[in-house]
Amino acid sequence: MSEQNDPMAEIRASFFIECEELLEALQDGLQELDEGGDDPETINVVFRAVHSIKGGAGAFGLEALVRFAHRFETVMDEVRGGRMTPDADTMKLFFLAADHVSDLVRACRDEAPIPESTSEELLARLDELLGDEVETEEADASDFTPLGFSMSLDLPDLEPEGSTFEIRFKPEQELFATGNEPATLLRNLCALGEATVRCNSSELPDLEDLAAEAPYIEWNITLKTEAAEAEVRDIFEFVDGLCVLEITSTSPDAGDDVPDVDIDAGIEVPAVLEVVAPSPSQPSAPVSKKSTKDSGEEAGGEPESKKGTAPAAKSVVRVDLERIERLVNLVGELVINQAMLSQSLDQAGLSPHSDAMNGLEEFQRLTRDIQDSVMMIRAQPVKSLFQRMSRIVREASAAVEKDVRLVTEGEATEVDKTVIERLADPLTHMIRNAVDHGLEKSDTRLANGKSRAGTVTLMAAHRSGRVIIEVTDDGAGINRERVFEIAVAKGLVPPDAQLSDGEIDNLLFLPGFSTASQVSALSGRGVGMDVVKTSIQSLGGRITISSEAGKGTKFSISLPLTLAVLDGMVVNVAGETLVLPLNVVVETLSLGPEDVQMLRPGAYVVRVRGGFVPLYDLGVMLGYRAHRKTDAGAIVLLISLDDGSRAALVIDGIQDQRQVVIKGLDDSFYRAPGIAAATILGDGQIALILDPADVIAGMGNPRGADIMLSERKIANE
Amino acid sequence: MTEPLVLQQKLDLPAAAPLAEELKARLDSDVVVDVGQVTQIGALCLQVLLSAATSLKAADHSMSLINVNDRVVEQLAQMGFSPETVAEGRV
Repeated sequence: MSEQNDPMAEIRASFFIECEELLEALQDGLQELDEGGDDPETINVVFRAVHSIKGGAGAFGLEALVRFAHRFETVMDEVRGGRMTPDADTMKLFFLAADHVSDLVRACRDEAPIPESTSEELLARLDELLGDEVETEEADASDFTPLGFSMSLDLPDLEPEGSTFEIRFKPEQELFATGNEPATLLRNLCALGEATVRCNSSELPDLEDLAAEAPYIEWNITLKTEAAEAEVRDIFEFVDGLCVLEITSTSPDAGDDVPDVDIDAGIEVPAVLEVVAPSPSQPSAPVSKKSTKDSGEEAGGEPESKKGTAPAAKSVVRVDLERIERLVNLVGELVINQAMLSQSLDQAGLSPHSDAMNGLEEFQRLTRDIQDSVMMIRAQPVKSLFQRMSRIVREASAAVEKDVRLVTEGEATEVDKTVIERLADPLTHMIRNAVDHGLEKSDTRLANGKSRAGTVTLMAAHRSGRVIIEVTDDGAGINRERVFEIAVAKGLVPPDAQLSDGEIDNLLFLPGFSTASQVSALSGRGVGMDVVKTSIQSLGGRITISSEAGKGTKFSISLPLTLAVLDGMVVNVAGETLVLPLNVVVETLSLGPEDVQMLRPGAYVVRVRGGFVPLYDLGVMLGYRAHRKTDAGAIVLLISLDDGSRAALVIDGIQDQRQVVIKGLDDSFYRAPGIAAATILGDGQIALILDPADVIAGMGNPRGADIMLSERKIANE
Repeated sequence: MTEPLVLQQKLDLPAAAPLAEELKARLDSDVVVDVGQVTQIGALCLQVLLSAATSLKAADHSMSLINVNDRVVEQLAQMGFSPETVAEGRV
């Protein structure tokens, strides 16, 4: 069987994707518990997440994962059953365990070596929590490690002891296609108690007529167990909707989950759960259809009737990222193509009211809609990223023995998937910096009248077409004197330089800068913030610092929403066509002779509504032409930069405002200052996309030194 | 009698169709199935074995399982079978 077509490989891949979601739910739940949430549903969510990971892992024989998840689950079950109340230390352990589950999942996925020693250590600590009970569980777990998942038998429930269940279980084809195995389900069922399994294979055809992957057989099981009906149903949780399942309890008084609808027994609807008519003595509920992610307490879940309905449509489709990339590229081409078409219609001299032009307008709108929709496919909430950061905070704070609380805001903010992936490293670094350098030690905090625990806030939001991500700490703020001293000591700035606060802060971004007098395990290797800055810049973003002594420091990252398309203003400068991001352009002016004033030779300002804004000639800045005697009559774009500063750029003319497709410049072009990327215009011409902040930063600097230039650049950004 | 058919370790979904093909090729004589290496037997492969046993029986041949280990016995039992009842075919 070839690798690509291996159905197991596909199922396996989707299991790992699902794991990511489950891990997310797990983190969320733990977080909520940690914050004192006592909703029984929360612990259930946590329990289910671990349980589902274990179940899936079992199906793929991921032994290490099953083993760990099983024990973790057992502890969770204790909490769920109210036999254990987690204290702060226990919660820390739970977080560690959750982190470890996620490590194991990744190790299994990448077929990397399993971190056995950590497993053992955490397992030992989990066992301590469990005390004696682990003995019995252990036997259970080691019995059938590759596939085993067994439920603990001591759950208190409403069910009387020693119920008998009649279970009819008939797998549908989908059950197999999703990687489930009746054998496993039956085994788990057998583990619940004393089971008599009868297989009905009467529909099985002769070998000649057999379709090997179609199910023909069904099972009738009589199960004597102390477990509750909910637990029995739990076993079939993962195959809900993929089989015909009838569970009839012959025990009295299990009346808390009588279904709302009475349905005749024995109606067969393919791939739909069957419901047996409940009678007072034989209550039965269909397994309620729940996604594993939000599945709730079994007994509390509302039974839903599935009679006569098709299996609930899956609300999520997993698509290979490559396919989306292809779609994005195609849409990019479509945008270019549409621009070309509109240009040629224009040249053909058609009336703007002609049918063709109207049609074109409609076409443009559609293109834009498609564009937006495609971008939405790629967008993902930053939540997963933030969750990773909470782990970083936990690990970092433990390493430097500080008490740190991570507050996240705007987790639902959606960002392009690529951006999320590429933000992980810089954010990790920034968070570590905040914990290590930003926050003071606990005693210092207390001495300064602050709370013992420091707070790191991670915030994401959409602001005017860009994504803003902020990392804020409530620490001591940047010690500017010290930063300056270090910069001087390292020869990064001349000792007599007069720098503003902002300029000093930005020294942190210089390559080779590190303030930590002690190099800790976490940060302070001097490869820090300049790398962060470079990676943010490579995403078309910028990073700024603001800091207040004694109050804390804020790093703010601003990123474009998408890396594929940009609303741009197409302008002419010295015979060249250039594109400026539309969102920086505040207004356009035409210059009168009295508007421009010379500050000193070579430095001009323009008067705009009573204020003065530095004036730059784009043509000169980019080296297209020499200084002109007068800029009178030229057109000026007033642009506003991320740090709130403004600048005026002299251009020759405005061509158009339109969406342009960003085409990254290959590495073989050196990174020209001020040029962000390129695009293809409607006439097939290539135009450079400018990064205005970078252009202005590159503008003549009075002090001239290269270091100053780079630091200025940051200040201007 | 021909060589025993040695089954692979994992008799899961991907194993079902090849197993059916192999058995189809052997329907003209008694079949000895060696399950000595089997660690995991799934429902689909069980079906294939049952179906093959049924077809063999109809043609007056027999099927037998050899080298049955405890694991296989236990897994078959959990699906309501024993090595002998599997060889009997359809019930």
